[in-house]
Amino acid sequence: MPELFGVSDILDVISMQHFVQNMVSIPLIQPVIDFLLQIPVLGYIVALILWKPMFALLIFPGLMTLLTVLLFIIWFERKLTARIQWRKGPLEVLRWAGGVIQALADGLRYFFQEVIVHRDAHRLYFLQFPILIFIPVLLPLLFIPAGTIVGIKSPYSLAITVAVVSLIPVFIVAIGWASNSRFAYIGTVREAFMYFAYEIPFIISVISMILVYGTADMVTIVERQAIPGIILNPIAALVFFITTVMATSRLPFEIPEADQEIAFGPFVEYSGIMFGLVMTIAYEKMYILSLLMSILFLGGGNGPAIPLLGDISGVIWLFIKAMAVMVSLAFLRSIYARLRLDQALRVSWTTIMKISLVSLAIGVIINLTTVGVVG
Amino acid sequence: MDDSVDFLNSGIFAPFKKWGTKWSLWPVHLVTACCGVELAHAYASGYDGERLGSLNYGIARQTNLIIVEGAITRKMARVLKITYEQMPEPKFVIVMGACGLKGGLFWNGYHMVRPSDVVPVDFFVPGCPPTPESLLRAIRALQDKIMSGEARSTIEFEKYDLSGIKARSEQPLVPPSPRYCSPTPPIKLDVPRDVDWEFGEKLVEEMKSELKGLYKSITITDKNRIAIHVEKKDVVTIASKLSKKFDHVKNVNVIDIPHEDSFIVEYQLSSYSVKELMPVIVNIFARIPRSDARFPSLTVFWPSADYLEREMYDLFGIWFDGNPAMGERFLLAPDTPEFPLRKDRKLREEQYYEEVKQ
Repeated sequence: MPELFGVSDILDVISMQHFVQNMVSIPLIQPVIDFLLQIPVLGYIVALILWKPMFALLIFPGLMTLLTVLLFIIWFERKLTARIQWRKGPLEVLRWAGGVIQALADGLRYFFQEVIVHRDAHRLYFLQFPILIFIPVLLPLLFIPAGTIVGIKSPYSLAITVAVVSLIPVFIVAIGWASNSRFAYIGTVREAFMYFAYEIPFIISVISMILVYGTADMVTIVERQAIPGIILNPIAALVFFITTVMATSRLPFEIPEADQEIAFGPFVEYSGIMFGLVMTIAYEKMYILSLLMSILFLGGGNGPAIPLLGDISGVIWLFIKAMAVMVSLAFLRSIYARLRLDQALRVSWTTIMKISLVSLAIGVIINLTTVGVVG
Repeated sequence: MDDSVDFLNSGIFAPFKKWGTKWSLWPVHLVTACCGVELAHAYASGYDGERLGSLNYGIARQTNLIIVEGAITRKMARVLKITYEQMPEPKFVIVMGACGLKGGLFWNGYHMVRPSDVVPVDFFVPGCPPTPESLLRAIRALQDKIMSGEARSTIEFEKYDLSGIKARSEQPLVPPSPRYCSPTPPIKLDVPRDVDWEFGEKLVEEMKSELKGLYKSITITDKNRIAIHVEKKDVVTIASKLSKKFDHVKNVNVIDIPHEDSFIVEYQLSSYSVKELMPVIVNIFARIPRSDARFPSLTVFWPSADYLEREMYDLFGIWFDGNPAMGERFLLAPDTPEFPLRKDRKLREEQYYEEVKQ
């Protein structure tokens, strides 16, 4: 019987040498890293963290950046809304920094609050879905390339990312069903309506970009963007942006969670840390879609290389682009009123659908004219 | 379970819990009265309560603070209790306004409940209404209280032994205020008045010929106002005749006159269909004895009298014969005292307690 993996293979994979071969290089702090690598246990941990797939998972675009962005964007959104309404916004919690840790205070309060599971809820699903939803939220981050740092390289990475992101509304519908409350029910139905309305133009715009670049591998897509995608196919960028607004339920499409009408829809019955988890879903989705938008249309990690930072240079450029997209999404919240469900459905099934088909036509044309170059 | 909760409240995590709760006091929307305007003001651009990390939020499950804005009626007391029970621990209550303290404008009203009887209250903000500054000051005080005390919500009022304490009425501290009493005036609804109103005089003549022998008096009390004094037994006949001209009842009133041992029941009629009669209001009233508080219902002729009659039954206990909804509670909460606007209802005496120095 042939052995697929021997013990020596496994030892090889988890050996420090294997990590060091594929490590994030940062010339600025290279002496420090070299020194740390000499220390027995600490060196192994440093090598593991700086191993590119692990770096993508833990640092960027993975957990640490995700948490920082969550804390920042919630504060930023409240602050921006307050400034537009001639208020100060969150301030006193950390006065000299403009109250930037407000979201941390809210998170701590949630963490220590009582979690109520009401009598009518499906107890098991009610408690497990907000945790399970982190699978489709965190999985796409492994496929997103930041310069040379990428978790998993795959020729189908864009398709996988879009497919996994599309799973999130299914979990939200399940959360609403498990809540078994009338507001949750209305919000769930609205979420399902919106899901069908935005998903089709969204996928069409992604397909048109796949046609433009001739590949679904995000690393290759970034490499081929000498001209950013937003110039090659601006209409696809427009459709992608609008459907991102709908997918993350930002205003003016904040229909499933309309807090003034149906009291946060599917999330109405959650309290304490469980609400903290479900409330951040939309922001996490927004983070993923902003990264995707910067990769598809804004050139991803491309940008003037900073020699001292090495591999981190691409990370910084991607982060700046993604933050620009997120900030513009947050800006929408404070200046628009909410559309009704029927208005939003009409807009997306007619206007946005037509525009997305135009973008698909542009993609086909570019694909046919450049077939000799990229094919 | 209780041990772990105690650990969170007082263990090594307590500072984090206190800090997070302090900067994240989210009041739930429970606007019951006019103090809500001041609440809105406190969170709008001038004062901006969000500076303190406090954010108005729509849902009870995700908030931790109730700001009771003013008067709590018997019906709203139930809502207040439900909202409080829905909120997760730790939770806090601030009561705004004079009405929430002791009743304020509505002191000793049959419909009033003090919020402190329903939920434990952390802070009262006196004023009618309080200014936004004082509300924000209460939130500041609550933050200080959270940081200095334990981050728990259950408030235990100090128990006082009232046996050693005398009511102030037995031991007056201030001289009683002088009381001026005037004799109770007679109630008269048909005071005649000379006005230049030709159409009214013509209308009164028509009515007198039409209702011959059924009325006691028909008087013009003001321009466009006519009062008809009738006997209780003739009311139905008169209503059947007047309902051809006047198509709706504007109001049904009851006046309780205990010193004359009678009720006055009055119906105010007007018309929407005849243009000349539109500004005219005709007042039919009859006296009934207090011992036999029954009156024929006029809903057959004027359906708009239905709800008004039910309300009068709720408040005065006049039984309108023929109205099918008699005997049911219509507007009042189930636990309201019976017929609260009758003047012989005993009010609760206000008592001031003070500690006797040993």
